[in-house]
Amino acid sequence: MSALPKRILKETERLMADSPPGISAAPKDDNLRHFDVTVAGPESSPYEGGIFKLELFLPEEYPMNPPKVRFLTKIYHPNIDKLGRICLDILKDKWSPALQIRTVLLSIQALLGAPNPDDPLANDVAQNWKENQSAAIEQAREWTRQYAQ
Amino acid sequence: MEDDSPPITSKRSSPDLFFPVSDSEEEEDVVAASGTLAGPSSSAIATPSTSTSTRSRTINGKQSQKSDGDGVIEIFGSQNSDDIIPIDNDTKPFSSTASIAGPSKIKRNLSRSRSRSRTPPASSIPANFEGGYLGEFVCEGWSLSKGKGYCSPGSKVIFERPKPKNQDDDNKSTNTPLKSQDRSGPARLVNGKVVGAKAKPIGGKQVTLGSMMGKKAATAPPKKPTAKPVVDSIIRFRNDRGFVGRLSVQEAGFLTHLLDTGIITLTGHVIDCPPSLSTGSTILLNVKVFLARKAFEKVETDGRKEEGTFWQEQKETTEEEAMRKRKDALGALFSRIGVKPLRSNALLLAQKKNGAAVINETSLQHFADSPKPKRSPSPSKGSNASAGEKSKGKISAVNSDGEEDEGDEDSGDEAEKLDDKQLNEIDSIYRKAQQGDNRLEETDPPDTFLYTLRPYQKQALTWMSAREKGDESIRDNQTLHPLWEEYAFKKEQAEGQPIEIEDEDDFVDPSRKFYWNPYSGELSLTFPTSNTRAKGGILADAMGMGKTCMMASLIHNNVDADISSTPPPTNETDEEPASKRPKFKQVTLSNQWRAIPTVPKPVNVPRGTLVVCPVSLASQWHDELGKMSEKGTITSFMWYGNDRTDIERLLAQEGKKKVDVIITSYGTLASEYQKWKKNKDKPTYEGGNLYDHEFLRIVLDEAHNIKNRTALVSKACYDLKGQRRWALTGTPIVNRLDDLYSLLHFLRLEPWGHYSFFRSFVTIPFLNQDPKALNVVQYILESCLLRREKTMRDKDGKLIVDLPPKTVDIQVLDFSRPERQIYKHLEDRAKRRFIQLDAEGRAMSNYTSILAMLMKLRQCVDHPLLVLGKATEDDETTEKLLDAETGDEKGNLKDLIAMYAGGAKSYSTSNGNGDDEIDHAYAAKVLKELGEQETTPICDICSNEMFDEVLLPCYHRCCQDCIVDWIGTCEDQNKPAVCPSCSKGPIKLSDLRSIQRKRKRVNPITGKHIDGSNGEGETDVTIGKVDLVQSTKLRALVRKLDSIRQEDPQVKSLVFSQFTSFLDLIETTLTREGIRWLRFDGSMSQAQRATTIEEFGKKINEPLVLLISLKAGGVGLNLTMANHVFMMDTWWNEAIEQQAIDRVHRLGQDKHVYVTRYIIKGTVEKRIMKIQRSKTALVNASLAGGAAKDKGASLADFKKIFGLDEDDSDDEVY
Repeated sequence: MSALPKRILKETERLMADSPPGISAAPKDDNLRHFDVTVAGPESSPYEGGIFKLELFLPEEYPMNPPKVRFLTKIYHPNIDKLGRICLDILKDKWSPALQIRTVLLSIQALLGAPNPDDPLANDVAQNWKENQSAAIEQAREWTRQYAQ
Repeated sequence: MEDDSPPITSKRSSPDLFFPVSDSEEEEDVVAASGTLAGPSSSAIATPSTSTSTRSRTINGKQSQKSDGDGVIEIFGSQNSDDIIPIDNDTKPFSSTASIAGPSKIKRNLSRSRSRSRTPPASSIPANFEGGYLGEFVCEGWSLSKGKGYCSPGSKVIFERPKPKNQDDDNKSTNTPLKSQDRSGPARLVNGKVVGAKAKPIGGKQVTLGSMMGKKAATAPPKKPTAKPVVDSIIRFRNDRGFVGRLSVQEAGFLTHLLDTGIITLTGHVIDCPPSLSTGSTILLNVKVFLARKAFEKVETDGRKEEGTFWQEQKETTEEEAMRKRKDALGALFSRIGVKPLRSNALLLAQKKNGAAVINETSLQHFADSPKPKRSPSPSKGSNASAGEKSKGKISAVNSDGEEDEGDEDSGDEAEKLDDKQLNEIDSIYRKAQQGDNRLEETDPPDTFLYTLRPYQKQALTWMSAREKGDESIRDNQTLHPLWEEYAFKKEQAEGQPIEIEDEDDFVDPSRKFYWNPYSGELSLTFPTSNTRAKGGILADAMGMGKTCMMASLIHNNVDADISSTPPPTNETDEEPASKRPKFKQVTLSNQWRAIPTVPKPVNVPRGTLVVCPVSLASQWHDELGKMSEKGTITSFMWYGNDRTDIERLLAQEGKKKVDVIITSYGTLASEYQKWKKNKDKPTYEGGNLYDHEFLRIVLDEAHNIKNRTALVSKACYDLKGQRRWALTGTPIVNRLDDLYSLLHFLRLEPWGHYSFFRSFVTIPFLNQDPKALNVVQYILESCLLRREKTMRDKDGKLIVDLPPKTVDIQVLDFSRPERQIYKHLEDRAKRRFIQLDAEGRAMSNYTSILAMLMKLRQCVDHPLLVLGKATEDDETTEKLLDAETGDEKGNLKDLIAMYAGGAKSYSTSNGNGDDEIDHAYAAKVLKELGEQETTPICDICSNEMFDEVLLPCYHRCCQDCIVDWIGTCEDQNKPAVCPSCSKGPIKLSDLRSIQRKRKRVNPITGKHIDGSNGEGETDVTIGKVDLVQSTKLRALVRKLDSIRQEDPQVKSLVFSQFTSFLDLIETTLTREGIRWLRFDGSMSQAQRATTIEEFGKKINEPLVLLISLKAGGVGLNLTMANHVFMMDTWWNEAIEQQAIDRVHRLGQDKHVYVTRYIIKGTVEKRIMKIQRSKTALVNASLAGGAAKDKGASLADFKKIFGLDEDDSDDEVY
């Protein structure tokens, strides 16, 4: 394992010392590129009150390539599939090396507050969301209660 | 010894005592002898050697020979007179006890004699030595008689050689008693006294050494072998009834010669035979073999040519032939009997295994030929010529011829290289040779020597003085001479016993040893140690321990040879301090003596010290000698260039102009040598050449310069005339054992200084992969090399050198994208070509072109420009890669600002991205910042301070590396590269503009430094095309230099590279960065070098970098003013790099030393590092620049280097 780039060290330090509201991230002991993350559901979203666990991994090429992030907690969201994978542009082709772990997590938090069923990852959820939004939101609340509290 | 329990004794006919330990025994012997004589048996031995005769007196079949132990012998030698006194305690019992006691005594004596013995092997045979029982074997014979009752199993037989009458008679008379008594003598007492054998010399006083000799001489006839070779392999045996048979040819073949020359005697008995004999019927015999005294004497005789022995009478060739026969015969005999050495050089064993290739005539010849040390003869000492020495005949001519012949053999012989493991072993060899060195006494240098020596340096002085004096006792060496094997005489077994050997150990009496040299055929009773008469040696202390200083102290210790040089050194005032104890007074004495230089110096006396060193060190020697010496005591002269004059006249100068030390370079020496060779025989030759003077002392500094024995410079060194020869080098063995040879040859250390010898005993075994060949090396080193390392501790457990710590940091870097591309391109091409060549089987015939490709790769790793400059053939691709950057647009900040103010679109519009609106406010801010800002902004991508700041079209800034990497990543993913910060784009490499600022504080001093165009004193910012072909290493270097200067504003650093073209590029970059530098390379004159070093040593208020080419400055220089070392590339040979680092990490360094090596991941460098460790073939081929001999090996190496034999996975460290 090559030495940790200075950038990762710096980011980690800052994350630990000064984490964005509702977000925590800490590297695992055995692999400093591997983070345990929690994101609080944004207010006035169906996920409010829930604490969602995620894992984040910084690949060798980081920051040239984006981090890999995945939900560990079950969540009912059109852009997040059953496996916890996230559909978010900055985690894909819109990645820029100027982005950071912090910004990525904030974006994810924002995604919770603004589901985008037009660019779905979980097709059934997106379908439901479009056809019967309130039922879908209720479902999301239910899951949040059930899995994220 | 303990085995000899009384019961056995009684049962077996006799011989408990292998050697007579005490006086009393001796006496017994006498008695026994006389008693024994009674028995009338005919002697088996044809040869009338004294020894034989002596032996014959022995009573029982057990020969007296057993009685003599070599060790014992020696001891007894001294006691002889006492021994002679006959005391009558014939009791056997005693004998056994005595024998038990004996060994210890003997051992003691032995060791004493050993340590003190410089004496060559075989030098002394105790007067009471008769011979020794070697062993027995079973063989066949044919009957020559017919009839019944001639013999029966168990009956004794006597062996005879059909010979000229007189001899036969002689033999008979003397040997008669041989057999007869076997049975009868159970008396054992008497027998036991077999020792009687010993007694003989004494009892039969007639048999003095002299008389024996005489007899032998008379015996001379052994020439027969040559005379009638055909007849000669007949050995008859008979018993007391007259029955006659003949020994089978097989055994007779090798026994004949030995019998003829009296080396062995035989006894035997019949094991089995037909009840009724007919001619030709087979008889099974048990034959016992004894080594006769003569076997051991012969050598001696041979050595001192003064005696009128048979050997001497012979012509050279005959002698050699005889020696060879003897050797072969003994070898056959030993193997027939199954005698195994107790101790032997592993090397020998290996060679035997390999079919004894070495034991052939040629090698023998070499042995016999090995040159006599020219300056060695100190007759006082070696009256007993050693085995080794005697053989040194004449030869220097032969010597050199032989060398030429084999000349080309060594340079390309890859397999001789030491691999990693072996190199480690070398370390342990050194270590072994070092044992006890810390107990050397310390000698204080004379007062004229101004420096204070450290204790270990004083020890070196002791050792060196001793070496010069020829006193080797300073350091005990107890290693068995590598050419010799140690054997022990056996106890003779009772006849009834089965012949089968039970357990070797039971029969070997450790204190009764003898020694055999399977190469020369010599036998010896004394412990053969080496005999080196060479004055001088190898001072191989690790680098930076002050070898120069130690040598200087030695020079002070003994400036002139006036006294000490003369062979019979009576009053060696100078050297005495070295010898034993009284150091202080002695030294003073010598000082005083020397302080009065009025003593007229005879012209022809060897005097003066010649120092040969690399040209870069010449002035350092000169300076340091000056600094170390009290004024007027030692003057040195640089023998260089036009300053050369007439050497004799120069050295003859007196008073103020007196010159004591001549310093010259290897190059000068070589040219001088050529001149001398060419002219010396011409009538017009006037002399005055270095070669016309005999120096008192010759010192080769950095002596590994002559490691190639065929090089002109090496030959030039060999031919120098000087009494005392010293080689200074931190790496006596650079990468193969042969390196050592050259040094030994220079030192004239015999016999190792003879190439074929060295080759036979070191090189070839080594080639055969016997790591134990190193034993020989160890042995050699022990005698003539002093090596201490920085990590060694003195007797009080303190480090002998207290150097500040050294930290080595290996920086494994990643290529930048463009570099990687260029490199990949080159590498692929090289690989392809290699594979193609290999497939066609032409790889090795295109050796040089492959090496050239490799060279390119290695350069490319340093800096792509190194390769691109020399683009050949299809380098378009790389050129294309470069295209983007070749433009020479440069703008300076003011222009840009002006452009912007004037409403011009940013330059990026040219790329068709003009529609991207640029945030003008931001741009303005950036430009302003550029002009003012003193601190470096943080890069968004790597979170570090920007390094090689570049400006994007959108006026965002990044490290060049980061953005280039990003653009590349995007290309790989087929997406447009946009600015990481604002997503504007796409951007291309060609859009980038580098921002270069010169720090105000930097005020370049170096002449070469190009001052900034901007004299107004503001920060000078230049915006230009990005130099994409920057080198990763170079940038890393600059970055590092930058960071260390923040810690230490006056830091001095060394930067090594093997490519001067790379140094050029480093220069440019450093200049641009405003870092002051100096340069030291091979193109500089001696004067320039000296100035550079001096300049570098000056105290200045800013960091200073010295750029050094590895080859020119890797060696010898003392640069302790620096404490940072940067190794920019990987050299094939780690030792060289080590040398380079030790320019800094050496005596005088008082700071922590930091070494940084730069390696690029996934390139040839990694593989070179690997090879560097394993020191395999190709490496050296490239080093030597010659073609490889061992094509198979290099081919494999090529494959390794091209990564064809392994996956070049990234999980490896490099």
